[in-house]
Amino acid sequence: MNPPAKDPAPPFAMTGGLVRRDGREVLAGIDLRVGAGDVLAVLGPNGAGKSTLVKALLGLVPLAGGRTEIYGVPPARFRDWNRIGYVPQRLPAGGGVPATVREVVASGRVARRSRRRPAPFTDRAADRAAVERALRTVGLTDRARDSAHLLSGGQQQRMLIARALAGEPDVFVLDEPTAGVDARSQAALASTLHELTTAGRTVVLVAHGLGPMEPLITRTIELDHGRIVRETALDTLERPA
Amino acid sequence: MSEMLQYDFMRVALVMAVLIGLTAPAVGTFIVQRRLSLLGDGIGHIALTGIGLGLLTGTSPVLGALVVSVLGAVAIEVLRARSRSGGDVALALLFYGGLAGGVILTNANGGGSATLQSYLFGSISSVTVSDLYVVAGLAATVLAIITLFGRELFLLCLDEEVARAAGLPVRFLSVLIAATAAVTVVISMRAIGLLLVSALMVVPVAAAQQLTRGFWGTMLTAMGIGVLSAVSGLAGSFEYDLPPGPSIVLLALAAFVAAVTGGSVVRRRRARAALDGVAAGPGVEARVDAEAEVLG
Ligand SMILES: Nc1ncnc2c1ncn2[C@@H]1O[C@H](COP(=O)(O)OP(=O)(O)O)[C@@H](O)[C@H]1O
Ligand SMILES: [Mg+2]
Repeated sequence: MNPPAKDPAPPFAMTGGLVRRDGREVLAGIDLRVGAGDVLAVLGPNGAGKSTLVKALLGLVPLAGGRTEIYGVPPARFRDWNRIGYVPQRLPAGGGVPATVREVVASGRVARRSRRRPAPFTDRAADRAAVERALRTVGLTDRARDSAHLLSGGQQQRMLIARALAGEPDVFVLDEPTAGVDARSQAALASTLHELTTAGRTVVLVAHGLGPMEPLITRTIELDHGRIVRETALDTLERPA
Repeated sequence: MSEMLQYDFMRVALVMAVLIGLTAPAVGTFIVQRRLSLLGDGIGHIALTGIGLGLLTGTSPVLGALVVSVLGAVAIEVLRARSRSGGDVALALLFYGGLAGGVILTNANGGGSATLQSYLFGSISSVTVSDLYVVAGLAATVLAIITLFGRELFLLCLDEEVARAAGLPVRFLSVLIAATAAVTVVISMRAIGLLLVSALMVVPVAAAQQLTRGFWGTMLTAMGIGVLSAVSGLAGSFEYDLPPGPSIVLLALAAFVAAVTGGSVVRRRRARAALDGVAAGPGVEARVDAEAEVLG
């Protein structure tokens, strides 16, 4: 993977972010800038607004006030979604139609597709190679043909990370990737993240605690009741310029 | 079988049954995963108004059904996206309005209860070659949409937020699924009837997912079950002089029961094979370790 091209605009910039849900302020007064190559941990107790914040950064939740930009463009007008890899907190149950692990991971390639080249005419070989690589990275190659909904919580987490990896984005947004994951898998995830960050990728990570990922983190913010209550910049790791 | 093939209308009807058996479960796979199993049902109600309008204006009932049910499907999707709670009641109003309006309009046009019955529960003897051309064209459109947009539609059905974060036009794709379902209702209404069309979208999928592990595997299996039940249901209805729609649906339900039974056998065997594999292999702990090794 080549380091991403230098961009003048940062991956995420939010000013005065305000989100209301059912008339209640779930996020308020959020000023946050995530620069290229940052590894930002979003911390805070349950219900603090961490998931809402990352969704607002991605434009998945509308702002009731303030503004937010992805690479300098408001989410509604942003087009380069292949640069973003979003790992949600869990796989929705849906209506019960099964999907194999490989199908789920391969769906991460969708944003890579050109609008002018519909499904039957895309580069199948590149897709397959990226999917195999992602499966191998998270250690799910031998589960590829199994039903995704039958995996354990930790395995599902790894599958969702593999889906984002398969899209080969510049920015990873992970919502509690370590929730319900045993210590070994957490260490494995940390090493995957380490590879990404040394390749210059940007990471926004929601977590309760940092655990084995601590050495990778360059910045943390802590949310409580929808506000940023603490910010730290940790320069514990040599970052590539 | 050979006897019924002597009749032109039966040959036409059998080709139609194959087309219905392919398209309804294919669209149904997306519908079921989106938890919209009753969408086809609602569209079927609305389509009856379209048939009434078609009869009223002297144009074709099929065209009327097509226009009204696609518009209705789009309206349903917009209502669903707009409001979570109010949407439910709005949908009910649309459904009952469509059904009541359709019955009144059909009656007003001198269409007696026989006409109504044939649209509600299907009637194969009235099918003409030109009907078949229309159905074939619509079925080709539906299958082309699924081939072209299948990967996008799959991600949408899997996780709508991830689909949006991948830059997919989620609104457009949702409307596309609903409109495709509406076209499928029109494809199927002649043979199966408006009140039962959605059964052929849902039941083969429910049967297939007992046996499969993947999305596309489920879709293909469901299409196989759909074709089998449509063709044999039609043949049975000819043989025993039964209405085709209910015969087809009952056969699909029989396939579902068989799949539930067969599926539990398959799962038990798979579980035993997995246990045997572990017993012969390095044991669970060691396997987990090996996996973590790969990860690290
Ligand atoms: N879709 C929603 N509708 C209404 N309230 C919501 C919704 N999503 C989240 N909330 C509320 O917003 C607050 C923050 O939720 P969330 O961002 O999920 O917190 P966290 O991820 O930090 O646990 C919670 O009080 C939650 O109840
Ligand atoms: Mg959360």
